[in-house]
Amino acid sequence: MAARVLQHCVRTLRLSSGPLALRAAVVPAAPLHRALSFYSADRRTRCVNKFPSLDVLCRQYGQLPPLTLESIEERVLYVLKLYDKINPEKLQATSHFMKDLGLDSLDQVEIIMAMEDEFGFEIPDGEAEKLMTPDEIVQYIADKKDIYE
Amino acid sequence: MASAFLTHHQKVLRLYKKSLRHLESWSDNRHDYRFHACVLRGRFDDNLAEKDMVKATMLLKTGEEEFWTKQHPAPYIFPDSPGGTSYERYECYKVPEWVLEHWHPSEKAVYPDYFAKREQWKKLRLESWDKEITQLQLEAEAGGPKTEALPPARIDGDLPPLWWQIVTRPRAQGA
Repeated sequence: MAARVLQHCVRTLRLSSGPLALRAAVVPAAPLHRALSFYSADRRTRCVNKFPSLDVLCRQYGQLPPLTLESIEERVLYVLKLYDKINPEKLQATSHFMKDLGLDSLDQVEIIMAMEDEFGFEIPDGEAEKLMTPDEIVQYIADKKDIYE
Repeated sequence: MASAFLTHHQKVLRLYKKSLRHLESWSDNRHDYRFHACVLRGRFDDNLAEKDMVKATMLLKTGEEEFWTKQHPAPYIFPDSPGGTSYERYECYKVPEWVLEHWHPSEKAVYPDYFAKREQWKKLRLESWDKEITQLQLEAEAGGPKTEALPPARIDGDLPPLWWQIVTRPRAQGA
């Protein structure tokens, strides 16, 4: 979160005041300096990063886009529709695997494994055997990943 | 899980899952894995209708032994699971919530709404603490707790015991 706040500050500083104020903040600038820095900054505006030194302050790690409840539900239903033992027309968010869709417990294990592969984290066996509807799976994933808690 | 012992059904499911995972680790590509996974599923399905528990247990035993001999030496473990690369990697950055108490008043003044709300939460916690403890003492078993699972709130309008720990747990994702 701190990284995001810093990035936001850097962006607003860049957009609002431009190179002049920043230069003034970093080094006490005389008018001559200012003209020179403006010119050099002008040249640098052609590149993507105006102030590479400021980028060092906020590191950007490789991260997945943030999950939302809707996106989790979409992905869960998409994976379930790809499974050949499920009829995609009959699939609802609340359809029970055993009662409504007529699946086996081995099928349920396979479904949970597909969910693990989709979201990239393991669902332990004790909790996996209780997840019987897509809604419960979505709730479990949102619980583990702290989405809209 | 109700008790500490696994049922036969649960043991079979666990064997199926771990054998599929190790099969995945052995396979070069996805198509090979899908083929061998279907073959394995066929083997499990053949013995699905076994009613004799003695035979079923013997089948499970031979299955476990076969799994042991054929397991992968370095199976794929998910990053966040125990043994994975990212397991407990960010635990040191997960600051407990009592640290908020120790913020300087000038820092707290930057977020007045949040800390006002927090005072209300703390009051609620203070009020419900005695009831939680009495509930836990009433429901305590003789030989100590058998599972880590906490019981839900029994009385209407009461909060579940030790809810503060769960509500103020550190976030799973890195903010």
